[in-house]
Amino acid sequence: MSPRPAIAFALSLAAMPACAESGQEWLARMTAALNNASYVGEFISESAGRTERLAITHRVRDGVVSERLVSLTGHGRELVRENDEVVVYLPDQKLAIIERRAGRSDLMGSLPQFEGRMASWYKVDWVGRETLETFGPTAVVAVRPLDGYRFGYRLWIDLDTHMPVRSDLSDGSGRVIERLRFTRLRFDDNIPDSAFEPSLDRSKLRWVRQSPQTDDEAPAWKAAQVPPGFRLSVSGMQALAGNGAPASHLVYSDGLATVSVFIQPPVAGKPPAQGTSRSGVASAYTTVIAGHQVTAVGEVPPRTLKYIASGLRPVGVPPETPAAAAANRRN
Amino acid sequence: MTDRIKEQLSAFLDGELPDPESALLLKRLERDDELRGALSRYSLIGAVLRSDGDVPAARQVAARVSAAIAREPFRGVQAQLPRRVAVLRSLGGLAVAAGVAFAAVMLVRGVNPGPGAAPEVVLAQAPVPPVQPVADDADADSGEALAVPYVTPPAADGPAAGLPQAELANFLVAHYGYASPLVRRSVGAGLISDDEAAIEGALEPASQPDP
Repeated sequence: MSPRPAIAFALSLAAMPACAESGQEWLARMTAALNNASYVGEFISESAGRTERLAITHRVRDGVVSERLVSLTGHGRELVRENDEVVVYLPDQKLAIIERRAGRSDLMGSLPQFEGRMASWYKVDWVGRETLETFGPTAVVAVRPLDGYRFGYRLWIDLDTHMPVRSDLSDGSGRVIERLRFTRLRFDDNIPDSAFEPSLDRSKLRWVRQSPQTDDEAPAWKAAQVPPGFRLSVSGMQALAGNGAPASHLVYSDGLATVSVFIQPPVAGKPPAQGTSRSGVASAYTTVIAGHQVTAVGEVPPRTLKYIASGLRPVGVPPETPAAAAANRRN
Repeated sequence: MTDRIKEQLSAFLDGELPDPESALLLKRLERDDELRGALSRYSLIGAVLRSDGDVPAARQVAARVSAAIAREPFRGVQAQLPRRVAVLRSLGGLAVAAGVAFAAVMLVRGVNPGPGAAPEVVLAQAPVPPVQPVADDADADSGEALAVPYVTPPAADGPAAGLPQAELANFLVAHYGYASPLVRRSVGAGLISDDEAAIEGALEPASQPDP
């Protein structure tokens, strides 16, 4: 090799990063960390000008996931998850809601692979490395939605632990609508069971149990229209606190974002609700169709919920007048 | 063009128009330039962008047209052929155009920098953008995240009366287990957040709790 090509080759090697990085690889590392790590920490949740401080205890032992989330701001509400059972403690309302989904713990699964079908709705980008004041160097990965029906994410993944120490949730136009950032994070493989006991007086609470009942092989309702990529993933009946008759529960997912649709029969003397509600990044849209209360809930833009909910129809009933369909197409 | 015809057109595009009506619609398409124009306007972009990515919507439309033609009884009227050919050319052009548009969408959507793409190295902590409220009617205005064709959902209009908080909490608890792992913690945080006690506008954490 003559000296000139050799120098050029050496210079090109020096210019290359030591290891090419990709967003997909970092997401895989992050998923492995989320699935396997046991840790104790605190994080800040910012949304719509509000800031909440929360403590988290997360343990994975023999395949059983336990998690306790405590609000450190205010009345000390808690959420405790023991594999397939979730209990939300609302001491200010003297209420505890139990949700048990026997045999459905797989639903708390891993992140999907952003390949194949998913690549049509999301684009994963390696952004680069960024040094955070609290945690030092991180790998930054963006999961961008390719339309306005879903949210996007920017994740700061700790280089050593592969934990997402900060995440920004953004709407379709790139505006950050929620930010979670850890302020403290400690790994611990010996978290005791007592760490998952709620710290409030449970004897003073009213307990409400709501659970999925039967899988519904032939759902009585279906969505006539869903955004591109969304498919029915689960259907069944669901007991809901405060409602006598169980609701039909349909879950639509694009592989990452999910929307639950609940269809409740009318309740005598109870006027139906209508409109949009919000809780953090999750929204709900409720309307009345064929005399039933239809409510779509999910971590998607409100207009996505409306799009799905307004197309719900009992099976066997024409989805909508073709004129309306034509109008929708033109919109 | 009457609403009835528009309805038939819509049902035809959805594959829901009964065979006899499809045959009639096809005949009308042969002689009605306005209807062919409407077919083109209403279906092209919508059909392409609503496709689930597996089968180009244009191909489905073309298949429906072919099937409708195949079901028609053969009448052997040579004089109709030029007109029929013109219609098929028109619809074929639509299908091709839809296919091209679909391909363009998929190509642009599919542009992912590979593992070897040069990383954008950030040397220090980047400026932190402000957190915005969730918009009910966010425009399709493409920000830095969207340099690709963009599907704008219909606006979520109407009153924001919504559900009582307690009822909303019940739904969220039932939904929690299905939420994406990326956002489940956010859903949980929303569930136990305390509206009254939230620190309005605060950006820094409060003081550490007592041990």
